[in-house]
Amino acid sequence: MMGSVWNWIAAPRYGWQFAVFLCGALSLGCLALIMLTSTPPRYRKTIVAAVTFLAGLYYAFEFLIPPAFWPLEPPRNPLSEVQPLVATLTQIIWSFALLLGVWNLFVIHGRAVVKRGRGWCNSAAFFISFLAILGAGLLKDYTQGSTIRKASESVFTILFSGFLTSLDATMFSLIAFYIVSAAYRAFRVKSLEAGLMMAAAAIIMLALVPVGAEITNWLPQSGILSALRVERVGYWLLTSPNMAAQRAIAFGIAVGSLAMGLRIWLSLERGNFFDRQL
Amino acid sequence: MSQASQYASPAVWIVESLLVFFILWKILSARRGRELFIRRIPGLSALDEAVGRATEMGKPILFAPGLSGLDIVGLQSMAILSHVVRKAARYGTRVIVPLADPVLYTVAEEVAKDAYNAEGVPERFDPEDVRFLSDRQFAWASGVVGILHREKVASALYFGYYFAESLILAENGQMVGAIQVAGTPATTQIPFFLASCDYTIIGDEYYAASAYLSREPTLLGSLVGQDLGKLVIIGIIVLGAIAFTAQAVCPAVGWLCDFTATIAKYFPRS
Repeated sequence: MMGSVWNWIAAPRYGWQFAVFLCGALSLGCLALIMLTSTPPRYRKTIVAAVTFLAGLYYAFEFLIPPAFWPLEPPRNPLSEVQPLVATLTQIIWSFALLLGVWNLFVIHGRAVVKRGRGWCNSAAFFISFLAILGAGLLKDYTQGSTIRKASESVFTILFSGFLTSLDATMFSLIAFYIVSAAYRAFRVKSLEAGLMMAAAAIIMLALVPVGAEITNWLPQSGILSALRVERVGYWLLTSPNMAAQRAIAFGIAVGSLAMGLRIWLSLERGNFFDRQL
Repeated sequence: MSQASQYASPAVWIVESLLVFFILWKILSARRGRELFIRRIPGLSALDEAVGRATEMGKPILFAPGLSGLDIVGLQSMAILSHVVRKAARYGTRVIVPLADPVLYTVAEEVAKDAYNAEGVPERFDPEDVRFLSDRQFAWASGVVGILHREKVASALYFGYYFAESLILAENGQMVGAIQVAGTPATTQIPFFLASCDYTIIGDEYYAASAYLSREPTLLGSLVGQDLGKLVIIGIIVLGAIAFTAQAVCPAVGWLCDFTATIAKYFPRS
């Protein structure tokens, strides 16, 4: 029942229905904003805390209550049915915020172009590339004529696959060089710990290349001595001490994030931002 | 994902209930005025050193929250940002905050503005210092690298969620000679930060940051509660390991078999 109501609200709308829903959503949003700003400051925090708690409660119930608890046939958790809608709402908020982000880019780069300061050409390049990919993208999706559409598709492909993807790959490939310089610093044996790390790294590197296996190939394949073969020592280092440390860190992170989540959910979080007067 | 696995299992119920109990208990006891001790975390203590260095050199600080959005990781990053901006505002040092998430950008702007207001110098807040660069990973990374080199930052602070771009940023920070402090819950990126940064905050130390920096009783209580929760997890692991080892050694002991079967029922191997 709940799922179907939400599905009706969230169903795609076209034409006059779209206009009605858009105006309705905007009016509701403005009304909520007016109500919040006209509320006395001492109550605003309570409202925000209540909304945060209810939003968190949805996710807690959705995850913690098993389908068998609900008196429904077939057994299912009705809160799970609303999850796509909640995800859509999050996306909508993100889209609004993206406009603010783009506005920030326009302001910063616009000022740089107007002032003609150092590196203003980079800011001009931002405007050119932004408008070019925006124009090509809009023409590609919203034009009817086959010639314009084909041309804009080609331009979009050149800009996206030719430029953007290649630039992404370039940045990613730089990591290989940075790994070398970082490894040089990390593996300088300045202490016992650094020495142990260097030895462990050397064993694992050798274990992953054929020449490493060749070094201890004279050791038997089975029996106690086989445990000393480089590939086995490397495997043990990776799956025992390394994995244990990784899991320990992961446990700590999980408990830490649970505590932080709990504090935010129950509005117990403190600090400059959370303690501010709304 | 199967239908059964998207809901909490009995093991999750048991462990989460215990963790929540310990965290809330310790928060309440800390609020009643009980003194709590937390050990020194060098990476967090180094934040003041990083601000001091930038002030002495007359250069800006870079605070990068990584690719975090408005989630637990991002909010913790904002708590640390607030502390850093307040310190920097006190000494008139700029803090540049490049962001990859538009929602977090709006929050970061408010956090920075509030921090300047709290220090009584709202006029020093420059909206252009909190910048949205791009939501694409490497476009954002190249933007941050550009800022590192152009602004010749004295201190670079990386607090948030990072992926492959962590090493690119940290190595470029090394190139400009910045003092670098990093903290991330991304376990795969910790080795890169360890290799390139002066101080690295590992794992749950990241979530201890707000408590450590503010010394606020509620947060300190939560931190002690977390530690008790970790003791519970360690206890379950040790108990399980001993029980299953003992059962392997003495398979004929009936009560041991029942006990291990109960553990296996509530804590099944995934």
